[in-house]
Amino acid sequence: MGVKSVEMIDRLFWLGRYTERAYTTIRLYGQKFDSMIEEGSEGYDAFCHSLDIPNIYASAEDFRKRYPFGKDDPNSIYSNLLRAYDNAIELREEIGSETLAYIQLAVYELNKAAVSASPLIEFQSILDDILAFWGNVDDSIEDEHARNIIKIGKRVERVDLYGRLHMDRTSMVREVHRLTGRIARTGLHYREETIRRLNELISEENLNYPAIVEEVDRILEA
Amino acid sequence: MNLEEHVDLYERTDVVNSLLARYGVKFGIYKNNTFHEQLFPFDAIPRVITKEEFAFLEKGLKQRVDTLNLFLKDIYNEKKILKDKIIPEEFIYASSGYLPQCEGIIPPEGVYSHISGIDLVLGRDGVWYILEDNLRVPSGASYPMIARELCRRSSPKTFHDISIADNRTYADLLKKTLEHVNTGGLTVVMTPGRYNAAYFEHSYLAERMHVPLVTCNDLTVEDDHLYFKDYSGKRELVGAVYRRISDEYMDPMNFNPESVIGVPHIFDIYRKGNVALINAPGNRIADDKGIYYFVPRMIRYYLGEEPILSNAPTYLPYYEEDMKYVLEHLDSLVLKDVAEAGGYGVVFGNSMSVGQKEDFIALLKKEPRRFIAQEVIDFCGLPIFTKEGQPERKADLRAFVLSGEKTVVWKSGLTRFSRNPDSFIVNSSQGGGFKDTWVLNQ
Repeated sequence: MGVKSVEMIDRLFWLGRYTERAYTTIRLYGQKFDSMIEEGSEGYDAFCHSLDIPNIYASAEDFRKRYPFGKDDPNSIYSNLLRAYDNAIELREEIGSETLAYIQLAVYELNKAAVSASPLIEFQSILDDILAFWGNVDDSIEDEHARNIIKIGKRVERVDLYGRLHMDRTSMVREVHRLTGRIARTGLHYREETIRRLNELISEENLNYPAIVEEVDRILEA
Repeated sequence: MNLEEHVDLYERTDVVNSLLARYGVKFGIYKNNTFHEQLFPFDAIPRVITKEEFAFLEKGLKQRVDTLNLFLKDIYNEKKILKDKIIPEEFIYASSGYLPQCEGIIPPEGVYSHISGIDLVLGRDGVWYILEDNLRVPSGASYPMIARELCRRSSPKTFHDISIADNRTYADLLKKTLEHVNTGGLTVVMTPGRYNAAYFEHSYLAERMHVPLVTCNDLTVEDDHLYFKDYSGKRELVGAVYRRISDEYMDPMNFNPESVIGVPHIFDIYRKGNVALINAPGNRIADDKGIYYFVPRMIRYYLGEEPILSNAPTYLPYYEEDMKYVLEHLDSLVLKDVAEAGGYGVVFGNSMSVGQKEDFIALLKKEPRRFIAQEVIDFCGLPIFTKEGQPERKADLRAFVLSGEKTVVWKSGLTRFSRNPDSFIVNSSQGGGFKDTWVLNQ
């Protein structure tokens, strides 16, 4: 295991989190967009609420444009993907140019989608790039420690997002188990109490989603 | 070698450029105080240097860099060249590149300029002229490295048919150079951060050398040594820092106290010989455009040899005779502010209006030491690939000379070209593009 600074550990972790956030929100947005084709609904308000982001959008049309592509909107998909890129670009020597390239490509594809007449169809390329990024993390990053930290970022983000979105029990159980299985391999200091508590929470009859979200976000607290 | 047989190479320029974009091969630029990342346009028609021509350049470049290393050692120690009046003292002591803090220091293994970027042009008279010596933190080697990698994928047959020196070994050469002066411990690349113009290069070279890329926050000076701080609190000794940060920001305790991108006291332990800083602090004196004028004299003085490579004909308005010449021939000269770099501070005499000329002459008379004047060299252009044809554009060559156990000239280089048909300025910051530089094996 090579030497790693606090800053690098932080960047690896957040690279995983923001990449996952971009991936899952693109998929969710695609579903939402699809449902709005016929309904023309104002349902985007519920979408914002579920993600715990402010509804700053003036209309369904405004939401369709600004939520994925808004450069000044800190909660947009663009902003999340750019944060992933900001971390990746400073990790080239650790993750390698090949792995970094897929985040770079995803940014290009998102910019392309922003000016496309049919952005929804363009999103598939972004999802492909992100999946290729994860494939490359496994295939190209030699340092197991670095790999595990990026992946734990992904796992933490997924439990957080799924908790906010009130996903079904099967999905929640699967993601908490994945997190539990991975965290010890990072070599990071983490709250064992959080892991114990999350496993308790997913075995309760009625899932307490706010408690799950609150707990998972504390996982790396000292 | 007939390059025309390999048109597929440059017909795929767009493909290579899209791959360069994919790998984030960019440089940073500040416009209106805002940072922008820009792609560096690549043209696949290479500059080709024959084996014989390279052998000549290699000899001349080694001679020049060896001399400049001797000059730096002398200027910060015995100062024989000043005592013997080869260079007027004021050209040293009045230069912002001279660092009194470096007095008496001999860096590890006595090397000052480990990586030197020497800018040359090929004149239409067939003579190679040196335009600039860059002995601080010369950038650019990473671009032809990665472009070569991609061109080989784009047109393997070209590289099968033509025997070209492999430039992808630069990272090994660089690492060897850094390790030669390592005082014991890790070798690291130190970057000011991602908002530096050459950040791509910093991260790419760190990746290719398999060494950590660090910022000031990762390093600490304790017990007279430099350490890399691990996330767990452990620390690891650092013996060589390839620092891509200028002298004045390197150590707030010894240089600019407002620097937030330096490592406090790193210069103190360098002075004690406990870490190698690459390149050595204080090298800017050798970069000074005023000092450039004296390099041929230095070669004769230190080596007792005639210079192999020529300077562009240069005048120092500091000397009365040269001032007279400059004033009489302003229209045919290019004027350069010695304190500027990157294509800034360069004015062509014939491009100035009457008013601008008057203002400039007043400034020149007031601060003669601040400017040099050079004859405008009619240097060769190189063809670039466009869909409409292959127009010629002015192009220079940055050769990289590495000084470790031996002085070695990298068998490649960064060829920059102007994208503007009427311009002589090739710098990336001024909108130029780049080409690979091939050195033929046969």
